[in-house]
Amino acid sequence: MEITRETVREGLRAARYITTPRVETALFLTLVLEKPLLAEGPAGAGKTELGKVLAELLHTDLLRLQCYEGLDESRALFEWNYQKQLLRIQAERAAGHGWAETAHDVFSREFLLERPLLKAITAPRKVVLLVDEIDKADPEFEAFLLEVLSDFQVSIPELGTLTATHRPVVVLTSNRTRELGEALLRRCLHLWVDFPGPEKEAEIVALKVPGIDEQLATQVARFMASLRKLELRKVPSIAETLDWARGLCALGIATLDAATVRQTLSLLLKHEDDRRAVDAKVTTLLGSSAGR
Amino acid sequence: MRDVLLRFVRLLRRRGMSVSPAETMDALAAVAAAGVEREVLREALATTLVKDEHDRPLFDACFEIVFPLVRGDESRGARRKRGQPGQTSSSQGEPGPSRQGRRGEHSGSGPGASSPPGPGEPPEPREGQERAQRSLGASAPRWSEAVRDLRRAVPQATALEQGGAATQVTSARARKAALLGMPFAGMTASDVAEARDVAAALGARLRGRLARRERLARRGRLDLRRTLRAATGTGGVPLRLRRRARCPGRPDLVALCDLSGSVAAASELLLCLLAAAHDWFRRATTFAFVDRLCPVSVEHGHVVPAGSLDLHARSDFGRVLADFWPAFAGVLGSRTLLLVLGDARNNRRPPRRDLWQAIRARTGRIVWLVPEPRPRWNTGDSVLGLYAPACDAVVECLDLAALASAVRRAL
Repeated sequence: MEITRETVREGLRAARYITTPRVETALFLTLVLEKPLLAEGPAGAGKTELGKVLAELLHTDLLRLQCYEGLDESRALFEWNYQKQLLRIQAERAAGHGWAETAHDVFSREFLLERPLLKAITAPRKVVLLVDEIDKADPEFEAFLLEVLSDFQVSIPELGTLTATHRPVVVLTSNRTRELGEALLRRCLHLWVDFPGPEKEAEIVALKVPGIDEQLATQVARFMASLRKLELRKVPSIAETLDWARGLCALGIATLDAATVRQTLSLLLKHEDDRRAVDAKVTTLLGSSAGR
Repeated sequence: MRDVLLRFVRLLRRRGMSVSPAETMDALAAVAAAGVEREVLREALATTLVKDEHDRPLFDACFEIVFPLVRGDESRGARRKRGQPGQTSSSQGEPGPSRQGRRGEHSGSGPGASSPPGPGEPPEPREGQERAQRSLGASAPRWSEAVRDLRRAVPQATALEQGGAATQVTSARARKAALLGMPFAGMTASDVAEARDVAAALGARLRGRLARRERLARRGRLDLRRTLRAATGTGGVPLRLRRRARCPGRPDLVALCDLSGSVAAASELLLCLLAAAHDWFRRATTFAFVDRLCPVSVEHGHVVPAGSLDLHARSDFGRVLADFWPAFAGVLGSRTLLLVLGDARNNRRPPRRDLWQAIRARTGRIVWLVPEPRPRWNTGDSVLGLYAPACDAVVECLDLAALASAVRRAL
């Protein structure tokens, strides 16, 4: 498939991902320049979804590496399958084989547990590699990742160097819980994914919640926009908007009023303090969102 | 085009953004791939050059300078993207009369603005144009048109760039560095608000560093229980040895922060910093005080006291100790790190040194952070000299950077 801005736009639409020209341009450049894309933004704004959508756009597989504190090479790259190796060693010993051939057998691809990074490199076709929440991983891991991402090859002492036949498309996401290293930033394209405006969000709701009334979708999106302006412990994400919209649909509600919002607020807000703070302001929020 | 882009990069650098040569090359490649339609150009450049969203306003301001909407372009731009005209007018209106005047002058002096480029103009580098033309394919006429627009914009842009030093936007990096080195005494309320984020980032970094140190410290004696447990997965053969940490556990943290006017900024930032790192500690208890003691927590970067706290009272450390000792002596122990932030200006009230000695006897480590220059210690109503001998360290912290490094060293 030849990649142009139009095909990216079409692909995104086909993958049912509603977005802005900004995101389109960034995805297009990621595919054309073959550089990793670093998507940053608030939690739940659709960063992880970007990886999935790219995979769908390219009709390929998505490999996901979820980062966490203490993530190391053996979880991200590869590990020897000790149990299997041990079994083989015992079997060979029973059959009377010497150590030399056993060692040769035991350190082969068969006994390698491929983790996402290695899988992406050895994949027989172009895949999408999603490195999720890179800010949760340690700086050491970040440095290690750089090495892999720069030339897409990995050295395994017992096997030699494995080089990618097809460069994977790499998407990294970060919630900015810590600052990423300059070196990583320099090597990546950067995209800031923010919450969509009320119009876009209404479109998303209408698309993802089948059977929702168009007017209700608009109302929901407007309410969310004004809700996100408040200072909350956890700002509700798009996923929560969709949950809420589905809930409203299931309850058979046609228009939003203060009472229904109060009843269903627990779908949106996950902290008791937030719920109490918003509960007091529901009428003003509804008013301000209807006024615009 | 390459020249214009390099000029743009130079302008960004001059305003304090760090743009590496590699990023510049990315930007050139991105423009060659994405084309020069104004909004696409803007996003393509932003994707490759802006690595911190806080720098986006600065980037946009510079973009408006180097790639201004030229008259012929305006109607087209307006047709293409409806939000556009409003955006430009706001950017023109923002930086004050001098800049607007200069812009007006230039477009005013220009029948030249719409005429083809003068003979003095350097010729566009051909290979760049050709390459871009190839990548653009059918839309080649649009390209040359855009180049003409850009070239027309050049003299204008040069003038604006030179005068641009007056623009107030600074890069996020420069701002952060400024906040780190800004003395607490000179901070305004808005500075403190901005510095809270920086303090929280420092706290998060501290937390990561501590956690890592702890992981790396697992090099001590064999941990038989965990090794055997891991060996069950490999048929009883202990393939991987587990080791015990050399030094025992995490410390408890107790922080006492003076929130009275003179040192409030420092205290607030310390609390923000500790809040970001607090879950690493085995137990972290934070208190604020002026003349009474009050347990506090930090939420959303704001200090939330659990009781009432009179910020305008005169600070009284002796009375705070009298509040602290009977009620909270239980939180102190041999593994406790007690951090005190304050200037120990007691307003000539009884310092209660006896209580301080009692606290000392129960506490593992005491570090006193003083947000006051060393020459002023023990002058006037300061009783620091009475408390200092019982402390393990008394550190002068005049700015956020010093505060962070003092906390790091204390741990």
